[in-house]
Amino acid sequence: MNRKLLTILFLIFSFGVVAQNNTLFEHATEAYNKGEYQKAIGFYEKILENKQHSPELYFNLGNSYYKLGEIGPSIYYYEKALLLKPNDIEIKNNLGYANNMRLDAIDEMPETAFTSFYKTVTNYLSFEQWAYLSVGMVFLFVLGYVVYYFLYNATQKRIAFIISASGLVIAAISVVMAYFQYKDFKHDKPAIIFSREIAITSEPNERSEKLFTLHEGTKVNVLEKLGDWQKIKIADGQTGWLPSENLKLLKNF
Amino acid sequence: MPNILFKRILFLIPLILLGCFVFGQEQSDVTFELKLSKEKLGINERLRVEFTMNKDGDNFNPPSFEGFKVVMGPSQSISSSWINGKRSFSKSYTYVLKPNRQGSFALGQATIEIEGNTYKTLSKNIVVTAAVDNPNAPKSADDVADESLHLVAEVSKASPYLNEAVTVVYKLYISPSISVTNFRPVDSPKYNNFWSQDIPVTKYNTNNGTYEGKPYRSVVLKRVVLYPQKTGKLDIEPLSLEIYVDVPTNRRDFFGGKIYTQASKTVSAGRRTLTVKSLPESGKPANFGGAVGEFNFSVSTSKTALNASESLQAIVEVTGKGNLKLFQLPEPDLPSALEVYEPEFGESVRTTVSGMQGKVSNNYTVVPSFRGKYPIPSISFSFFNPKTARYTTINSDEITINVMEGPADAAAINPATGGVAKIAVPTSEQFHFIKVTPNLTNIGANYFFGSNRFYALLFCPFLLIPLVIVYRKKLKKNAESIEGNRLKKANRLARKYLSTAKKELGDEDNFYVALEKGLHNYLKAKLKIETSDFSKEKITGLLNEKNVEIEHTESFIALLKNCEMARYSPFTDVQMQQDYHKASEVISLMDKQL
Repeated sequence: MNRKLLTILFLIFSFGVVAQNNTLFEHATEAYNKGEYQKAIGFYEKILENKQHSPELYFNLGNSYYKLGEIGPSIYYYEKALLLKPNDIEIKNNLGYANNMRLDAIDEMPETAFTSFYKTVTNYLSFEQWAYLSVGMVFLFVLGYVVYYFLYNATQKRIAFIISASGLVIAAISVVMAYFQYKDFKHDKPAIIFSREIAITSEPNERSEKLFTLHEGTKVNVLEKLGDWQKIKIADGQTGWLPSENLKLLKNF
Repeated sequence: MPNILFKRILFLIPLILLGCFVFGQEQSDVTFELKLSKEKLGINERLRVEFTMNKDGDNFNPPSFEGFKVVMGPSQSISSSWINGKRSFSKSYTYVLKPNRQGSFALGQATIEIEGNTYKTLSKNIVVTAAVDNPNAPKSADDVADESLHLVAEVSKASPYLNEAVTVVYKLYISPSISVTNFRPVDSPKYNNFWSQDIPVTKYNTNNGTYEGKPYRSVVLKRVVLYPQKTGKLDIEPLSLEIYVDVPTNRRDFFGGKIYTQASKTVSAGRRTLTVKSLPESGKPANFGGAVGEFNFSVSTSKTALNASESLQAIVEVTGKGNLKLFQLPEPDLPSALEVYEPEFGESVRTTVSGMQGKVSNNYTVVPSFRGKYPIPSISFSFFNPKTARYTTINSDEITINVMEGPADAAAINPATGGVAKIAVPTSEQFHFIKVTPNLTNIGANYFFGSNRFYALLFCPFLLIPLVIVYRKKLKKNAESIEGNRLKKANRLARKYLSTAKKELGDEDNFYVALEKGLHNYLKAKLKIETSDFSKEKITGLLNEKNVEIEHTESFIALLKNCEMARYSPFTDVQMQQDYHKASEVISLMDKQL
């Protein structure tokens, strides 16, 4: 009895939070439309404090920071939105605008045909989407099998068998894809540089040789961590160390 | 009345007398001087020393003449003359001395008592050198020129900072007794370790001045501004000039004027050493590029709003005083998406005695290819101010360039020059407005993939397959049992109504009679009719009323017909058997519908 009451209270409370966040979101939209970007950012951050997010929210934050001319946060939030919604055209478009403000021009390492094929295939869907697809396909397979089992007509039986078999194959592929993507996702720790200008050194200390300089908004990949220093890799394959406070990890949700 | 006039004259007399007295007093100024024929002489030469006074004195007491031997003297001479009623008197004691050895000697003070006061001469230094070729010769024109020309390098600052402007002015001091006719530089100094700029002197102006206490005329011959490029002690090489002069001789021409003789003389300014201080290390900004002076710094763009593929100028400019030509201008950090061409360097610098002044600038041509907002972050410029001995850093303003309209086709733009990768933005797409639907979800890394729910949903459907198989089997079994029941019922009916017919199987007449009877009985039982009127039409009508299928009705009627036919025509055993089966079948089929 007591537990039921608690659950109900929790539900009511959480509905309250959702409603509150939705109004905050509306306020933010109004503020943004009036050109009060800083105020809009405040509202969005309150929603994040309430432990809720969405690709739309991050996209809007990125827009607000772009309007304020803040390169780092703008790119950071667009990238975050893209993580949650990888193939959104609007996000990609505005990220392109934000990327135009960056100072660094880094040549991407050329990919081999195999890796590029692998990436196009695995990144076609996020691993979550792959997972849902595999579950759906398993259901299709079972349904197809049952139908096949109960039907007498030869043609119908054949169709059911083909559907069922392809469902099983797709399900298996999806699980594999989801696994690969999940592995990549876990391995991949992208981050955005927040400092105006930061020298990347060869060792995790102040004395070591300066290798190259990065500017605000550049996307890097974190490889290792040692104390307050992090080893990073940039798109052209160069690696180096920098103090942790200069960047912000994208996958911190 | 004449009395008053007399009184006035009486009053004036003492004034006139006083004036006469003052005049006389002035005349009685006493001088007592030491005159030397030479200050520098060879050991084989003789020196004439004369002590002159303009009033008669007593108790003359000569100095000790240490290092010299008195060859002659003292000889006394007195001259007195009246010119225009003015008396001039001069008395002198003269000695001729011979030096004993080489070296520098001080000639001590001589004293004399004039009108009860004791006067002293100033002591003088005499240098005795090695023996000279031509002893006791009069001063040559070269000697005179030597004494009368002095080239001096004046340095504005003896210990400047690195890169601080130092002015060197070369001045020629000329004694009034000689005159310069021409000069020509023999050796132009090279200013090693300096950045130098000559400020040409177009007009030689003479100024009256003094050189070591004596009246001289001075001319500025050369001015140079130097910027030391190295710290430590740096030498400025001497400047040498050949100067042609007219020197007066002791001879006089017919009219009593002095005869001049030509002489050429090479003079050189002394070697000067500057101590160049290094710039202080404390407080040195990281971006310090060597600028020393007082500057202003700015970054500006010709436009802040434009369309893509139009060009704008970004100007990095430093104005002020200092080593403008000697440092690099800071480079602006422009977003990599902008096309930036090599800067055009512009300078308008004047060099004056106090150093370089003006402005230097770098003019970048920037062409944005794509629509968007491009911030140019502020850059800083640092310089050292030698006046305050401090570093100053100036930050430029941050500028944002708005590119309003992009080209319709991104592919039409040429690839960027300089091999810098540019980020292509789909220019046909505008900057999108924010999204208005929140679609909020809770933050948390609860991924569906890998969760228990995922595995459950992935594998449970497979369990469904054996379940379905089992279910189907059971269903089949059921279906079979229903069939069996029906058969059983048909058998029972057949037994009930056709048992007599079955007994009579083989016996043609009896069999058909029994069959007909059995069929009639069945109808009677089922249709509850109590009549013996079994015409085929009636049966058909009754069965139709009960909605029995026509097919069944027809086969029933066909059986009855067979029974009637059998009375008149023979039927085989096989036919009988068939009819029996047919009958039991029809009954059981019809039974379902009745």
